[in-house]
Amino acid sequence: MNTNPDETTLALWLDDELTGSELAAVEAWAIQQPSQVAARNEIRKWRATMAEVMPASEEPPYPDFFNRRILQAIRAEAPIAETVTKKPFPWASWFMPLAGCAGMVLAFYVGKTSQTVSAYDVANAPRAIPVEPVVYTPENGVNAEWFASSKASATVIVLSGVTAIPDTTDFSETASVPMDREIDSTAEIDAQLTIPTGP
Amino acid sequence: MNRSLGDPSKSAQEPVGSADLDATLLDPDDDFRLVALAQQGDMSAYDALVTRHRGRIFAMIRNMIHQEADAWDLSQEVFIKAWRALPRFEAKAKFSTWLYRIAHNSVYDWVRKRKIESAGELNDEIFERERIDPASFTTPYGGELPDASMAHGELRAKIQIALGKLSAEHREVVILKDVQGLSYKEIADAMSSTLGTVMSRLFYARQKLQALLKDEYESR
Repeated sequence: MNTNPDETTLALWLDDELTGSELAAVEAWAIQQPSQVAARNEIRKWRATMAEVMPASEEPPYPDFFNRRILQAIRAEAPIAETVTKKPFPWASWFMPLAGCAGMVLAFYVGKTSQTVSAYDVANAPRAIPVEPVVYTPENGVNAEWFASSKASATVIVLSGVTAIPDTTDFSETASVPMDREIDSTAEIDAQLTIPTGP
Repeated sequence: MNRSLGDPSKSAQEPVGSADLDATLLDPDDDFRLVALAQQGDMSAYDALVTRHRGRIFAMIRNMIHQEADAWDLSQEVFIKAWRALPRFEAKAKFSTWLYRIAHNSVYDWVRKRKIESAGELNDEIFERERIDPASFTTPYGGELPDASMAHGELRAKIQIALGKLSAEHREVVILKDVQGLSYKEIADAMSSTLGTVMSRLFYARQKLQALLKDEYESR
């Protein structure tokens, strides 16, 4: 290569991004350019240092929960997306009010003429699919099981693997106990509130 | 495109167990196959895509903002936004480059929001780990990971501090090029910038970093 490479080609060569004939041409030119070869070696050394100490990929904490939350968010907004993307029929502007009026007239007619209403088949009614809740435990080794009783109106979460609470723990320190002063202050205010009853 | 949530029976085979993959394992062809399935509403294919790319996206965002909890949330936001935009994704660019672009926008939106919330007082300080009180209970984790080499821990911390002294644009170019290993073209795509701008930013960013790390760098 007799002429100097342009700046873009040189930058690509310095970062080892050239291939094929372009690379060969710049390599031929660089034989006479020790400063450029030194600069490339410097960049290679820098990149090697960075690759050594800065990982390109790091698992986020709680990776399974990370994925699950994404999928939950996507599922939660899916019905909205479907509603937004639904395109109305072009003739809906005149057909929909007409259909609405016809429906009302039909309902009125049926209501007036029928005396008995067929019982709704509760047994075959669509049922909501119960969704098993997922209890997230941030501490490794701790498992959570979930139980619900509609009869008892109770929901119980059982944690297994939690470190035992030592006997020396003073629970009174964790309880919220109203201060005497707070109670007294209310009483004092009440006592001071005397309504004048006249002269 | 059918965006109905996928039928598990038609789900894609989970290709990977761990997201901490080497770049060579992230075959773009596998990505395109999974993207095609996800575009048809296959949620397990999208889950596989998240698993394949979450490590790189999380590392990139964490290196940008140095706050682990926010990086965790922002990384999730990236994948949620990517799902929304998936119908518009075309196989002209690599899926990973496209994700980096979404990550770039999410980080800058986050920074902008933080600046507004702090009424302009924060500026670029959020990027600077050395300004965070190390005694604070709410200090985000920015130290060495347990499985990382102890020998590199100190140098990594120094590089991160030096990165924090760069402007956001210069820092991002260095992270995408020297940490994530993207090409100039991919960086330009991810940052919605020109090739020349990326080259110029990288040149000055490396110069400044090497000046900041002069002692460390020369001793190696």
